[in-house]
Amino acid sequence: MIPPQTPRPRKLCFVTIGATASFNSLISTALDRPFLKALREAGYTDLRLQFGREGRAIFDDFIINNEDGSEERYGLNITGFEYNRKGLGQEMRGATAYKGGVEGVVVSHAGSGSILDALRLNIPIIVVPNPSLLDNHQVELAEELASQDYVVHGKIDDLPAAIADSEKLREKHKAWPPVNSGEDPSGRGLAGVMEYEMGFVD
Amino acid sequence: MAFIPQPNNPIAWLTAALLITLTTAFLRLLYILPSTNPTFPTKRLRTAHTRLLVVLGSGGHTAEMFLLLGRSLNPRLYTARSYLVSAGDEFSAERAEEFERGLWATSASAMAGHAGEEDEMRGKRYEIFTVPRARNIHQSLLTTPFSSLNCCLSCFHVLRGTANSNSTNNKIPSPPQHQYPDLILCNGPGTAVCVIFTSLLLKYFGVRGTKGKMRTIYVESFARVRTLSLSGKILRWCCDRFLVQWKGLKGGGREYLGVLV
Repeated sequence: MIPPQTPRPRKLCFVTIGATASFNSLISTALDRPFLKALREAGYTDLRLQFGREGRAIFDDFIINNEDGSEERYGLNITGFEYNRKGLGQEMRGATAYKGGVEGVVVSHAGSGSILDALRLNIPIIVVPNPSLLDNHQVELAEELASQDYVVHGKIDDLPAAIADSEKLREKHKAWPPVNSGEDPSGRGLAGVMEYEMGFVD
Repeated sequence: MAFIPQPNNPIAWLTAALLITLTTAFLRLLYILPSTNPTFPTKRLRTAHTRLLVVLGSGGHTAEMFLLLGRSLNPRLYTARSYLVSAGDEFSAERAEEFERGLWATSASAMAGHAGEEDEMRGKRYEIFTVPRARNIHQSLLTTPFSSLNCCLSCFHVLRGTANSNSTNNKIPSPPQHQYPDLILCNGPGTAVCVIFTSLLLKYFGVRGTKGKMRTIYVESFARVRTLSLSGKILRWCCDRFLVQWKGLKGGGREYLGVLV
């Protein structure tokens, strides 16, 4: 048994696989001992999973086999749900530092929607491309964002290491969206292009 | 011997006629394609009434489109907005309604400064149109041309302003018929290909009222870092502006303005 400790501030790790495809390996890895141990060591108190329709079996299995308070849970409060049709923004906000909690982390599949949600909320994000999708552009996006220090590129076979990396990312704290990242003469982005194409004269 | 059509040789005459027709058709295509013949937008005042057509797609594309619009759309400049969604995509239609409501919640304070302006309904008009899907998931490739054609036909009515919108804040008077959109904004969904092709077809035949209308902006998805999407590969030849969000995709007419979402 893990000895009882003084209450720690809430720190949430939110794992999401998105709405489109199942990603069972991410769900089972996130419930594996090494990952839970890494969370515990990084000061996490909560783990919340969006596991999708297929992932429910894995999650239920874990909950049944490992009772609340058992050693296998590493003192973490573990919860989950299939999907929220209204979007996951609200769930992600749970990983921000609100109401006395401290900022946590989002572990996400490489879908651009989830990545953007986390970036815009300014929460550190670990992007884990789904190896069973033959969709190389998801890996490219994760690599590119990681090379610019916006995300941690997590690999399914070494997720605990990504938790440590995300703590380093938190310190760098780069703001989103990037300012002047492109070659935009007007500096006004799409609005400038739209107004030019409309031919507006002042 | 030189190929000279003889009056008594109908095959030669037909061949000549066919060659001339094909050449003319091809030259006309080169003339209307923005990639081979870029044109300048027609000048207009900021107070003009305008129609913007926004093409929405499934989940990811729609989400990105509203992130783009959230940063770029001034409803006082784009006074009537049409949203185009695919059949069965309630998510996109709901998001459009939500976005429109948010537009007035946030710019209500900005509006206060314009109190007493001649037209307080200005910029409040929007419509949502549904078109059949260009291709259903798992649909056979054999039938895809027909469903795409059907989609194009619906797009034609939307572009001409003769389609029935399935959702509109209809207290605001409808714009005159045959008012083609001034600007079409799209990202990668399959429907966008149908819309742009239809607009090109209208321009190809020089249909009355299309001159200076339907300029097109394509924004490649934020998710595309090193390769274009299929829609992007097709539409890069067909749009007035083609924007990419990553440096690796710039060049050859593709403009890199940085991350736009």
